[in-house]
Formats: sequence, C-alpha cells, structure tokens
Amino acid sequence: MNNDVYAFALKNTLDEIQNICPDVSNTFIFKDGKILAKGETTNEKPANNTINAFDTITERADAIGGLEAVTIQGANGRVNIACMNDFYLTTVSSKKADENYVNTLTRVLIPTVIKLVEKIHPTSTDDETLTVEPEPVEDEVAEENEADNAEIDENEPVEEETATTEPTEEAETPEVDDEPLLPEPPVTQFIVENLGGLLVSSDTVRIDKTVIAEWNNLYGDKKINEVDVETLDGITTRCKFKPIKDEKHKGKGTIRMPEKIQLTLETKKGDLVMVKPVVE
Amino acid sequence: MVKKKRSIHETATTVIVDDVTSSEEDQAFTDISKNLAEIRKTKGVVGYILRSTTSATIDLKEPEKIVEYAILSSQVLDSSREISDLYDLGDVESILIEGKEVKALCMVIGENKISIFMEKDADHADILERVSP
Repeated sequence: MNNDVYAFALKNTLDEIQNICPDVSNTFIFKDGKILAKGETTNEKPANNTINAFDTITERADAIGGLEAVTIQGANGRVNIACMNDFYLTTVSSKKADENYVNTLTRVLIPTVIKLVEKIHPTSTDDETLTVEPEPVEDEVAEENEADNAEIDENEPVEEETATTEPTEEAETPEVDDEPLLPEPPVTQFIVENLGGLLVSSDTVRIDKTVIAEWNNLYGDKKINEVDVETLDGITTRCKFKPIKDEKHKGKGTIRMPEKIQLTLETKKGDLVMVKPVVE
Repeated sequence: MVKKKRSIHETATTVIVDDVTSSEEDQAFTDISKNLAEIRKTKGVVGYILRSTTSATIDLKEPEKIVEYAILSSQVLDSSREISDLYDLGDVESILIEGKEVKALCMVIGENKISIFMEKDADHADILERVSP
C-alpha cells in the first residue's frame, strides 16, 4: 500500500503537469533503472529505452562528476532528464513548450510531492516495488519454482530469479501497511514549571489536560503513555505524563516537571521545552 | 596513396590531434575550429572537442581527461540520437549534459561533432548561440 501511494502521488503529479502544459507529451520518473511512475500518455517501451540510453551516458559521466541532467534539443521537440531527490524525471515536450515554465513547474512540484510522500510514508524509497505496474515476472518464476520443486535448489539462475521475486511479492501482499496511517506526532512547546512534593513521582511530568485531549482525539484508540521532552539544546528524555490537576497551572502553556527530569534535561523553571507524544 | 600525418602538439593547456589528408581540408571544420578557439577564451569554458570524419581538435584545461571526455561526448551524441528517434524529435540540434562539477554542450554541425566543456555557472545559452551556424 505504501508504495502504491507513492506511485499514485507521483503519477497524479505527472498527469497534472501534462494537463497544465499540453505541450508536454510524455513524462515519467525512474530510479535505479526502473520506472516508478509515468504519465497517462507515456508508453513503457520508449520510456525503458530512454532509461537505457541515459544509463549508458551515466556510465561515462565520471569525468564531469556524475550526471545530474540531460537536455536534448531536437528540431521538433525536447527531452529533459533531471535528477530530483535521487529520482530522475523525464519530460518530453514539443518545440512550442516554454522550457523555463516547464522546468520551473516540474522542479517545484516533483520534489515537493516526493518530500510529502516521504513524510507521510517515511519508509525507504529504494524499494523496487515502487513500480506502478508490476511486471509479470512473478508468475513465470512461480511456475518455474513449482516445476523445479523436486530438484535440489543449487541452481544459481533459480536463486537469482527467486531474489527478484521478493519485491514483487511484497507489492502484491502489502502486509506491512495494513495499519492505518498515523499522523506525525504534534510537537507542543511548554514552559518548565517546578513540580515537587512527597507524593510526586520523579519520572512523571504534568501536562495540560486540553493538550492530552487533543492527542487522544488525534490518535483515537492508540495508547499514549509517555512523551518525549526535548530542550532547545537538543537534550531529550522520555517520561510518563499526567494531566495537571492544580487549577492555577491549567491553560498556561506550562509543563510541571520534577527536579530529577529537570536535571536530566539540564533545564530549569522558565525554560522552553518541546513535547511530543509517544504513540504506541 | 593517401599520405597520413599524425602529430600531437602539446602546450600547457592544448592538445591537438590532426589526422588530415592535406588535399582535403574541410573549410567548415576550419571555421568551426576558429570559432571554438575564440569560445575557449570565454570565462568558464574549460575546453572543447571537435571531430569530423577525418580530423579532430581537442583543447582541454585538463589534458589527462581527454580520453574520458572524448568517450563521454561520443556516448552522449549516440544516446541522444537514440532518444530523439524514440520521440520523433527530428535532427538533434544540441545536447546539454550537466554533471556535478562540469557541464557540456554537444552539437552536430554537418559532419562535425562538437563538445564544449564548461563550468556549471557558465552561460551555455550564449555559447550555443555563438557556435550555432
């Protein structure tokens, strides 16, 4: 599911680029020689051939410090292949297309979408299963494997093929992403207040009830038993929390903190800290 | 019998490889060669390679990279033709390849294949204009 979302987001972005710029006839994004997403009007075969041709240039590009972009200007149009966040975006446009406009559009939109998807799904983008349309290799290999079941598996090509099937199997069985998407834990800033007393637990901070309620609303049934507290100097600790009971401390943007935690964080009353819920 | 002359002149910054039949001097090649020599003086231009079917002129700031640059420019021209055919771009007018350190402008003018190497911030559009027929 994760990868599908990735490909879906990029594909939609490419389609939108083509809608906005009708002079852009083909668009696709690839990484490590594989197409991750392509526009509606883009055929896979020429796209793959383009990637192969580009790769042959890349192999010779050490002399210029590695390849970042290629622009081919033909009599009837232009092909641009540009590196963006480790992805390569290819755009094919007619001669009429405004090169600056297309470049500006693509160089803003694509990196933004990539960053957004990475933020929502912070898993590795190196996964080969980002491919929009899984190739039918798996069926063939599965059949071969079944046929070869009786044989001893010391055959190297079979091992290689089995290795290539792993990602495609993942693509079809998205067991990892069955869980609903959780939003990024919100970071709230608080001013440190002292918390003392005989019955005060030294490993528990007190936070405003309304903030805790917001967290509960955000994460529903998910348990939030601890928070990460970080100082402006970057010192972090994880501790338990409870709502502030004392009326005079409610709604004032403070976090009541026992001395022990203050010492751990090298902070003191009046200092600013950032608090993030730990969602289980 | 064709008399072949092959000589390598090496100065501090220039390497020239001539492989010319004296009776068949290509006027276009000479003109482009002169033009490139002028462009070479432009700030940010680190060198060029000019090849025709019979001759080649190479002027690079780093002569030790001649082979790498020559192979790269040849590959760029070949691959670009392939890509151009895939999308019916017609004749390839120019190719800009941008590396992390250097960029190169490649062109084909008649039988002459040109690659101009320059620093990343050099004005390739201006150079393209100057070298275009």
